[in-house]
Amino acid sequence: MDFSANHVGFVIASYALTFLCLAGLIIATLGRDRKLRAQVERLDTQRRKPR
Amino acid sequence: MNLILALIRRDLTLTLRQGGGVGTALGFFLCVVVLLPIGIGPDQALLARIAPGALWISLLLSVLLSADRIYQQDYEDGSLDIMTMGPVPFEMVALAKSVAHWLSTSLPLAIAAPILGFLVNLEPEAILPLAIAMVVGSIALSLIASIGAAVTVGLRRGGLLVSILVLPLYVPVLIFGLSASQPNAAPGLTAASLLILGAIALVSLVVSPLASAAALRSYLK
Amino acid sequence: MQFLANPTRFLRIANAVLPYVWAITVALFAVGLYGALVTAPPDYQQGETVRIMYVHVPAAWMALFVYTVMALASAVAAIFRHPLADVAAKTAAPIGAVFCFLSLATGSLWGKPMWGAWWVWDARLTSMFVLMLLYIGYMAIWAAIEEPHRAAMVARVVALVGFINIPIVKFSVDWWNSLHQPASVFRMDGPTIAGPMLWPLLVMGLAYTFLFLALHLTAMRAEIAARKIRQIHIAEIGER
Repeated sequence: MDFSANHVGFVIASYALTFLCLAGLIIATLGRDRKLRAQVERLDTQRRKPR
Repeated sequence: MNLILALIRRDLTLTLRQGGGVGTALGFFLCVVVLLPIGIGPDQALLARIAPGALWISLLLSVLLSADRIYQQDYEDGSLDIMTMGPVPFEMVALAKSVAHWLSTSLPLAIAAPILGFLVNLEPEAILPLAIAMVVGSIALSLIASIGAAVTVGLRRGGLLVSILVLPLYVPVLIFGLSASQPNAAPGLTAASLLILGAIALVSLVVSPLASAAALRSYLK
Repeated sequence: MQFLANPTRFLRIANAVLPYVWAITVALFAVGLYGALVTAPPDYQQGETVRIMYVHVPAAWMALFVYTVMALASAVAAIFRHPLADVAAKTAAPIGAVFCFLSLATGSLWGKPMWGAWWVWDARLTSMFVLMLLYIGYMAIWAAIEEPHRAAMVARVVALVGFINIPIVKFSVDWWNSLHQPASVFRMDGPTIAGPMLWPLLVMGLAYTFLFLALHLTAMRAEIAARKIRQIHIAEIGER
C-alpha cells in the first residue's frame, strides 16, 4: 500500500468509515444481548424466590 | 360479483358525497403544475423537455397524498371488521376498495393530467401517449397505494411511513410510465414500455389484494 | 409452550456455535485485510483507490444477501407461523441496513475520485438506494407498531412485497439507465479481475458473511431475551 498515492485519503476514509460502522454495530448488538440476558436472569431468580 | 360491485358503488358514493377526496388530489396536482414553471423559469424548450416527467411526478404524489383515505374511515368506524365476516373474500374487499380509489382519484387525475399539460408546454403529439400510459399506470398506482394504506391503517402517524414504503414500489411505474410517454422515442420502445407498464399493473393486481388483506387482517384481530 | 420449546433449542445451538463463528470472523478479516491492503497490487488505472473495492463490494453483496434472508424468514413465518422466523427477520434488518449504508457511503467515497462526483444516478446506485429505502421502511414498521404480534404480521407483508419489488426495480433502473445514456461510467465486471485482486475480495466477502452470521445469532438471542422479559412482565400483571 502506497500512502503517497493520489486520492489515498478516500481509501483511508472508506476503511475508517467501514470500521466505525461495523464496530458500532458489533458493540450495540453485544451490549443489547448482554443487558437483556442479565435482565432475564435477574427476573428468573426473583420469581423463583417467593415460591 | 354483485356484492363487489355494491362495495365499489358504496365507496364511490361516499367519496363523492364527502367531497374533498378528488378535490384535494386535483388541487395538489394543479399546485405542482403551476408552481413548477414559476420555480424553474418560463423557458419553453426546457418546460417541453421536462413536461412528461413533471406530470408523472405530480400524478404519483397526488395519488400518494390520497392513499390513506382508502381504508382509514372504514377501519375507524368498524365497517372493515364487518366486511371480514361477510360472504365476500376479504381479498376481494381490498380489491374493490382499490378499484374505487382508482375510479374516484387516480383515473380522473390520469385523464386530467395530459390536458393540464398545456400549462407546462407539453408537446401536442405527446398528449395521447401520455394519456394512455397514465391510465394504465394509474391502475398500478392505486393498487400499490392500497398496500401502503393497509399496512399503516392502524397507526396514528402513518403518513410518513406510507411515503417511505410506497416510494420504492413507485419507481418502476414512473420509469416505464415515462418511457411509454415519449412520442419521439425509437419505434417499438413506446409500445414495449407500455406493455411492461401493463405487466406491472397486472402483477400489482395480484399482489396488492393479497398483501392489503393480510395487513388489514392483522390490524383487525 | 411451543414458543418456548423451539427457542430453547435455538439458544442451545447458538450459544455453542457463537464463539467459533466469532473466531472464524476475526481470522477471515485478518487474512482478508492483509490481502486487500498489502498483497493486492494497485490497479493500473485507478491506483490505490481500487482498494476501496475490498470493503465496498462485500458490503453491497451482504446488503442484498441479508434482504434475501429477511424475505425468506418472513415467508417461513407467514407459511408456518413460526415465531422464531419473525425474530430472525426482525433482527436481520438493522444489520442489513448498516451494510447497505456502508456500500452506499464507500461507493460515494470511491465515486468522488473516479467520477468526480459524490453521487451519480447510475443503475446500481439507484437500485442500492431503493434497497436502503426498503430497509428503512421495514424497520419503521417494527418501530411504529407497538404490539409485537401485530407488528410481525404487518412486517411480513412489507418484507415480501419489497422482495418482489427488488428485481422489478433492478430491471426498470437498467432500462432507464440505457435510455438516458450515462457519460461512460466506470464498470467492474466480474471475470476481468485478476487473481491477486480476486482472492482478497472473496475472503473479505466470506468475512462479512461470517460477521453477519455472528451478529445475527447474537441479535436473535437478545431478541428472544427481550420477548421473554415481556412475557414475564405480562405474567406478573396477570398474577396481581
